[in-house]
Amino acid sequence: MKRLLGAVIGCVVFALPAFAQNYPTRPISMIVPFAAGGPTDIIARIVAEPMSRILGQQVIVENVAGAGGTTGITRGAGAKPDGYAIMMGHMGTHGVAPALFPNLKYNPATDFTPIGLAAGTPIIIVAKKNHPATNLKEFLAWAAKEGNKANQAYAGNASVSHTTGILLGTMMPGASPTLVPYTGTGPALNDLVSGQVDFMTDQIVNVVEQIRGGNIKAFAIATPQRSPALPDLPTTKEAGLPQYEVSAWNAVFGPKGLPADVTAKLQDALNKALDDPNSKKRFDDLGGVVPGPDGRGGPALQKLVESELARWVPAIKAATGKK
Amino acid sequence: MDLVNNLAQGFGVALTFQNIGLCFLGCMIGTLIGVLPGVGPIATIAMLLPITFGLPPVGALIMLAGIYYGAQYGGSTTAILVNIPGEATAVVTTLDGHQMAKQGRAGTALGVAALGSFFAGTVATLFIAAMGEPLTKLAQLFGPAEYFSLMVMGLVFSTVLAQGSVYKAILMVLLGLLLSTIGTDLETGQERITMGIQNLSDGLDFTPLAMGIFGFAEILRNLDTPEARDVVRSAIGRLLPSMAEIKQCIPPVLRGTFIGGLLGILPGNGAVLGPFASYTVEKKIAKDPSRFGKGAIEGVAGPESANNAGAQTAFIPLLTLGIPPNAVMALMVGAMTIHGIIPGPQVMTKNPDLFWGMIASMWLGNAMLVIINLPLIGIWVKLLKVPYRMMFPAILIFCCIGIYSVNNAMEDVLSTAFFTFVGYLLIKFGYEPAPMLLGFVLGKLMEEKFRQAMILSRGSFMTFVERPVSAVLLAIAFGLLIIAALPSMRKKREEVFAE
Amino acid sequence: MSDQGAGEHKRPMGLTIPVAQDIAAGLFLILVGGFFVYQGRDLPMGSLRAVGPGMLPRAVALMLVVGGAILLLMALLDKKAPRLPTFSYRGPFFIILGILCFAFLIRTVGLVAAGPAAMIVASYASSETRLIETAIFSIIMTGFCIFLFKYLLNLPIPVIANYW
Repeated sequence: MKRLLGAVIGCVVFALPAFAQNYPTRPISMIVPFAAGGPTDIIARIVAEPMSRILGQQVIVENVAGAGGTTGITRGAGAKPDGYAIMMGHMGTHGVAPALFPNLKYNPATDFTPIGLAAGTPIIIVAKKNHPATNLKEFLAWAAKEGNKANQAYAGNASVSHTTGILLGTMMPGASPTLVPYTGTGPALNDLVSGQVDFMTDQIVNVVEQIRGGNIKAFAIATPQRSPALPDLPTTKEAGLPQYEVSAWNAVFGPKGLPADVTAKLQDALNKALDDPNSKKRFDDLGGVVPGPDGRGGPALQKLVESELARWVPAIKAATGKK
Repeated sequence: MDLVNNLAQGFGVALTFQNIGLCFLGCMIGTLIGVLPGVGPIATIAMLLPITFGLPPVGALIMLAGIYYGAQYGGSTTAILVNIPGEATAVVTTLDGHQMAKQGRAGTALGVAALGSFFAGTVATLFIAAMGEPLTKLAQLFGPAEYFSLMVMGLVFSTVLAQGSVYKAILMVLLGLLLSTIGTDLETGQERITMGIQNLSDGLDFTPLAMGIFGFAEILRNLDTPEARDVVRSAIGRLLPSMAEIKQCIPPVLRGTFIGGLLGILPGNGAVLGPFASYTVEKKIAKDPSRFGKGAIEGVAGPESANNAGAQTAFIPLLTLGIPPNAVMALMVGAMTIHGIIPGPQVMTKNPDLFWGMIASMWLGNAMLVIINLPLIGIWVKLLKVPYRMMFPAILIFCCIGIYSVNNAMEDVLSTAFFTFVGYLLIKFGYEPAPMLLGFVLGKLMEEKFRQAMILSRGSFMTFVERPVSAVLLAIAFGLLIIAALPSMRKKREEVFAE
Repeated sequence: MSDQGAGEHKRPMGLTIPVAQDIAAGLFLILVGGFFVYQGRDLPMGSLRAVGPGMLPRAVALMLVVGGAILLLMALLDKKAPRLPTFSYRGPFFIILGILCFAFLIRTVGLVAAGPAAMIVASYASSETRLIETAIFSIIMTGFCIFLFKYLLNLPIPVIANYW
């Protein structure tokens, strides 16, 4: 018991002077709410490396997976707001979660200090390679004609392909595809490649090589501009479904009440990390989109979170409620 | 010859001074971390991923692959020495491997595992180089219905793992299936049997369950029966397998390599079935099946070869299709992506150096494992001499750290404590944990595939027998079940297999 | 909790229930299956076309209940069925307590306390344990773990919570 007490006192005493002006004085942990190896983890690791160099302290990625990312974000939201625990939130955890998790323990709009958008991975509509449609218009007509005979794959409840897929469904007139759940992108993609299912939506990084290799076909990318990774692929706007514009964005948040100077330091480090030529190249390779100057920083992120909540929550609630 | 040219190109890449060094380093670190009880291959790779960041892509991937083999083999070492499987495929190794260790034959078990793995790795490497592409197409024949039938077959296998009552083993498979249903429903997102505990919403993790039911429960069993564990300390026996033992192991290794290699290609984590299937085959065709579970050397040689062959061929869907068949491979995809190489069908043509370099490095990695591990066997076996009163707290602390670091969650440690208690009860009730773990691992996949198949067939059970591959698998499962249920058929069966 | 522990570890014996092993084993499965059926009572079964979340858990749980009942009945009929072995208190109590110590200390105080506490508590599971020896050994092991996991591998394990 004495040992325990001693340790408690010890760490309180140690923690006090570590605060304020010369932040950071010890490693920073960045919670990634998904397992290692996924798109959000990759983006976090790509920015964590230059951020460590810029801040002069290690930024260590801490994977806390579970419940569509909400487990990790719940923990991050409850961390001490001293800048030593930050997190990589994403479209799901900060835009869609309130619609899918009724017992969510945080409020995406009010429980965080927004630090800045990191990078987004655009969503692509893909289909099996011998799909009869050759472009998005034909695909929409096909989906309307097939009704519930069409099979749409997704990577499990609350995954990006799930929410973006539901959103697509609400925008396809006359279509009512049968949703086939998988336990992850890998198995879903596998069955799309082998033609067991007809189509799905997913992040560019997961499907880009399959498209290039001709194993699956792509109809449109849901961003305003074409992606340099797939320059021949039309945008949804060009292809005739302009209202379908989605990107799985990833952004750095701190817990609520982060001191202004700490926030500023982190923002500066994140911006420099995004402009680092090495990370730029890595983002380009995986088709990631880095925000321009007006998309960066806390206020822009806060606006994005609010607009995403306003868009996703009613749409997903309506779609899943109806089902 | 394309194959020769390609392999030559691959070895040209892999055999540079730097890459040999990285491969060795990867295998070495992977072995040393993977051997810690409670730290399986996934945890090991995730832990070591960042140290490869500064390297050039090919070197980094060669090193990661080395870490993977090392961790895999390190896990087998732990399974043999202290009866703690780091992942599902090592469960089988504990059955006879740990018994051998208890009889003072730990060195032999480790040696056979190393040599069998090396052989399997060599064959699998050649196999990948020669047949990787066409085999991928074969694997594409597997849809949800086929997978479901494969899982059914796997569950039938698992009852053969039992040493005691087959009936009780079947009950344990069911218990494993039941535990696998805990968590958020895949399709509707409803919470199932989570009792409102948030950490159960993604289901139970394999690590806490296996550590509790296998690892810690084993400690409790040892503490209850001090005589049993003293054997481990007193007799060490020879360090390497004898010529006779090696000869005895050749057929199981060949069969294991074949079975494991084949199952490993399947993109839906078929590799997990490899060791179980191999064990089943060895036990079924043995002249005296009662030796199994009591330290039969074939029960280590076959499954270990299957395990390594599967670990190798699991790269096929990743390298040729870009689709990771299991969690470890998903992590490799992440690692490759971070290095700017997104795995896909074009890696082979667009990045042949990387593709063939990696294949060549597979063989290199396997060779390194033997070089690293044969001398290490002496050290591992000496570790068994540490008094048990000091060994078990050490095992406990490594396990706790390992479990904690998978999700950085203390809740995982709590659930291990719970399963330790359950595991202790199971021992006392005369239930064996191995069939339960297999039921648990296959259960998740099985339900997923069952529901997908039913959705795709719009509710028709006929899908499982209309599709030829699925029908064949079900027939095999059914046949096995009958054989298991009718011991009187034993004689006849032995004649059939005797050739 | 430590009061109870002190009382426990002096008792050399365990709990012996004079029933056949399979009676207890069957009962255990009936309870587990029943628990799952009860917990999952609100889950929709769905249809064959769209299998619901409740179908598999309920089906398997019922099979366990039936299977457990058969085991129990067979054991009741068999007069020579093997008895249930003795449950010892000491091993399970201290091992589980040790794991719990680790779980509750790792994020609140850190590995510096969680490591030695877990090892020392757990070591009492064996009657051969000597306190001084274990204490020294646990500190060495914790130091080794900190060096390995924190220093060499840079894992986010709290050594001193909220500080390092």
